Amino acid sequence: MDWAFIAGGSKGIGLAMAEALARRGFHLILAARNEEDLRKAKALLETRHGIQSEICSVDLSLAGATKKVSEWCKSKTGELKVFCYAAGLGGSRDFPLLDTDALQTMISLNLQAAVLLCQELLPLLKNARPSHILLTASMAGFAPIPAKNVYSSTKTALLTFSYSLNQQLKNDGISVSCLCPGPVFTKPAIEKETLRQLGWMGRQMAVPPDEVGEYAIKEMLRGKLVIIPGWLNRLLSHFLRFMPRRSLAWIYHRFGKPVQQDADDT
Amino acid sequence: MKHCLMICALLLLSFLPGTARQPASRLLHYDAPFTLEFPGPESCGVSAGQRDSTGLSDSTGSWAVVAGGSKGIGYGISEALARRGYNLLIIARHTDTLLKAKAQLETAYHVRVEILAADLAYDSAAAKIGQWCTSRNIRLKVLCNVAGLGGANDYLSLPLDSLRYMVRLNVESCMALSLTLLPLLEKNAPSYILNVASMAGFAPIPIKNMYSATKSAVVFFSYSLRYQLEDKNISVSCLCPGPVYTKPEIVQDTRAKLGGFGNSMALDPHTVGEYAIKKTFKKRLIIVPGFLAKVSSSVIRFLPRRWITNIYGSKGKKAEKKARKKAEAEAAGAKTPS
Repeated sequence: MDWAFIAGGSKGIGLAMAEALARRGFHLILAARNEEDLRKAKALLETRHGIQSEICSVDLSLAGATKKVSEWCKSKTGELKVFCYAAGLGGSRDFPLLDTDALQTMISLNLQAAVLLCQELLPLLKNARPSHILLTASMAGFAPIPAKNVYSSTKTALLTFSYSLNQQLKNDGISVSCLCPGPVFTKPAIEKETLRQLGWMGRQMAVPPDEVGEYAIKEMLRGKLVIIPGWLNRLLSHFLRFMPRRSLAWIYHRFGKPVQQDADDT
Repeated sequence: MKHCLMICALLLLSFLPGTARQPASRLLHYDAPFTLEFPGPESCGVSAGQRDSTGLSDSTGSWAVVAGGSKGIGYGISEALARRGYNLLIIARHTDTLLKAKAQLETAYHVRVEILAADLAYDSAAAKIGQWCTSRNIRLKVLCNVAGLGGANDYLSLPLDSLRYMVRLNVESCMALSLTLLPLLEKNAPSYILNVASMAGFAPIPIKNMYSATKSAVVFFSYSLRYQLEDKNISVSCLCPGPVYTKPEIVQDTRAKLGGFGNSMALDPHTVGEYAIKKTFKKRLIIVPGFLAKVSSSVIRFLPRRWITNIYGSKGKKAEKKARKKAEAEAAGAKTPS
């Protein structure tokens, strides 16, 4: 009778994580923006895996949303075994093309809400020790990508945060993991954009969302800190961490193709 | 072992394409403490008279915006800009420190200083500053994003509002202000953006969790922005200082957590500000003031993040233990006399 909370669990990688957890018999609490998607996810998970689930429709980028969610979560269960944060906003429309509101939404959703929820749910996680935190960053967090400026900045902050938090909670019996996937084709728009940018390489690097979710949950339960799905991505990540950031930023800038299409949410 | 790693790191950095422009000797070059004297109010007449007069004080002069420029490193940066004849718009939270900074700078240097009391963590601040600049149509040449919140408390003991404020001020205000002022900077190119991060942005520091996370975002933002604005002739720099003694609390905190090493790495805000501005105008991307800080930052960037986190973590625990022992000893000392 263990409970898991997944922020952004109605679609994409978040839903895959939810499914991987349901397969292991966890009861689920899902929070996401779109209520219809949430209902679908709930129905799917309950019929397929016979678990209990609760849903909460909320926009985590809004002020006060994390407080609402954490209080709602506390009303459902006294202890939480797993907290996954899979909500995030990317897309090809980044820094100079953004307006200040979009910038704020992106920072709130990718960084602020994750950090706040971690602290707010910590008492619940402490009640169910040993417990697990899984934050979703990206391979974009390993090196600055000029074309995805704010995205890669917020994701690196989340990665840094995970490293620190892991160290801080080590002796409390709470493991902290950070999922850093390469391209994941959760939507046709992402597939198109990735193939345009990376071509053949993108096709080789891409991992289906189901596999990403399953691998992430498996490694999280083993207490791994940085989780990178796909062997080619793991190999590349070593290269990215070893090279000076400046050279990488230059490579990304020089060989990246200019942005063509419009904004897309993840 | 450590020395070997340092040398390897420096060699490697100097051979790779992005850094190849800087010869290795530059990385090792020790920047002697700054020799320009800081003129007090009494010498202002002389310094103003000696300055080449290209209409410095009227609205056609070059302007610089310094967000968070009334105290500490920000004031050091303001002073360095004023010395170079830039008119200043200084933004900070408190009017009294702003007025003090304005008075000091205007008497010491022959420049105009405008002040704006605003909390940069609020949504409207960037828009307000943008409006001020565009309505006066100033020749904006330099934007310095200095405002930031650190503090000795770590993530686990900070209230939620402080966390929110930290993300807002350290990350969002810097991005929002750059975005708002971008058209003006583009119009007055060549121009400069200087973001102030920290050495904490190079690797995770568990005892300064949120601070190092937000500063790492600023470092990444600067790297990306540098290449995004390259064609527009706007140079982006990122100042990553080690410990800077701006406040007595910071002096204490650094000595407790980093010991003698931290103390010898520390610099004063004047030196940091002057060095930062000098390198900004030389279009340097990552600016690390001080020789010891330069060497440590190369090592930090070279080593695996997990090692660094562990090293910082054990340092932090030792400091915590020491503080606890000290508090216990004090409590015992307080008990015995009574």
